[in-house]
Amino acid sequence: MSTVTQTLAHPREAFPLAPEGGRVPHSAEQPSGPTSRPWVLRYAQSPDATQAIPLPAALYDEELQLSVGVDTEILPFMQTHTPTIPDGSTTNPPPLDEGPKD
Amino acid sequence: MPSILVVAAREDWPTDRVVKTLTDRGQQVFRIDASDFPQEATLTGYMDNVHKGWTGSLRTSHRSLDLHDVAACYFRAPNPFRLSPDMSQPERAFAAAQARAGFGGILNALSCRWVNHPWAMSRAEYKPVQLAAAQLVGLPIPRTLITNNPDEVRAFARRIAGPIICKPVASPVFIEANELKTVYTKRLTEADLDDLRGIETTAHLFQEWVDKAHEVRLTVVGERLFATEVHATSPKAHEDWRSDYKSLKYTPTEVPSPLKYKVLGLMRDLNLSFGALDFIVSPHGEWTFLEINPCGQWDWIEHATGLPIADAIADELQGVIA
Repeated sequence: MSTVTQTLAHPREAFPLAPEGGRVPHSAEQPSGPTSRPWVLRYAQSPDATQAIPLPAALYDEELQLSVGVDTEILPFMQTHTPTIPDGSTTNPPPLDEGPKD
Repeated sequence: MPSILVVAAREDWPTDRVVKTLTDRGQQVFRIDASDFPQEATLTGYMDNVHKGWTGSLRTSHRSLDLHDVAACYFRAPNPFRLSPDMSQPERAFAAAQARAGFGGILNALSCRWVNHPWAMSRAEYKPVQLAAAQLVGLPIPRTLITNNPDEVRAFARRIAGPIICKPVASPVFIEANELKTVYTKRLTEADLDDLRGIETTAHLFQEWVDKAHEVRLTVVGERLFATEVHATSPKAHEDWRSDYKSLKYTPTEVPSPLKYKVLGLMRDLNLSFGALDFIVSPHGEWTFLEINPCGQWDWIEHATGLPIADAIADELQGVIA
């Protein structure tokens, strides 16, 4: 028997998916003021894009059920090993290493 | 023939490594992204009083899966359902909820090995749940405060009588003003606490700063523990190693025996067969639990250390005892 009380409640959480519009919804809104902006966001920063490694061009192969390279026979997953380094692009947010996925 | 169902984003390349490992072993794999449903995939589930569990199939234009053949499921942050663009917004919301309860519900009900079961993953994403579970199994944790009360923050800082940190309770990444931003762990100064306007707007998490020699990323797959020391060589990475990957050095290490059993107890309590745990190791060698990521990244650790994590995930899915 688990020693922790089950906390699952809402059916939305029972099948976690990325939200519609992507894992990190795009917004052009500016920050609000100091009394309405969450305090911790004063430490928000843009990730160091210089540390990001460009991702190779890839296509999903339905037969192999994995991505294959466009310009090379080397499989994309063998060419990149830095999945959590964001490149700063708002259209290519990092896979999240923490936090709710839904 | 027993199959392994993989439910993951198509663009998740570490999942590619697991799929390749499985297919190289001759294992039947059926991979699907939730975004394939309902436009590119068909689900048929049937239940009666004769057969145990859901019978039926999942079909795409390329393959078909008998639900009774699913021996294991690898579930890793799939994309949302892709619905007809012709739907109105209320229709989309309705259809998405139906898909979640129908497609997601049938998958959730599969009686098979899971890495990880979606319910367990959802629950374990909550840091307060993780910390409570870790404390119950005897893992040392940093003293922690979650509050929206600025007075409690000041009182906590006085009680700790040493440095404290703040970090998001949930996802640290967001986009505003057309700019991708993230919030790393921040070691606070006294001056940082002078202006606490905004604390009351939502839940905030504070912890005591734990002196560290290095951190450990511990990837657990079933009963197998893959521990890697993460050594930060820059001040930024010393506060939060995610902020400066280039400054990191990795060394495989061993988990002290008493701690190993506590970690496995935590995994059992959270019903997880995979987790990426973060620990601080003090200059005296004491380990302090920070958090567990039920959907954590692992591929770069395998690359940096040679630890066979993809093989272990494949073993777990195939029911191979290490």
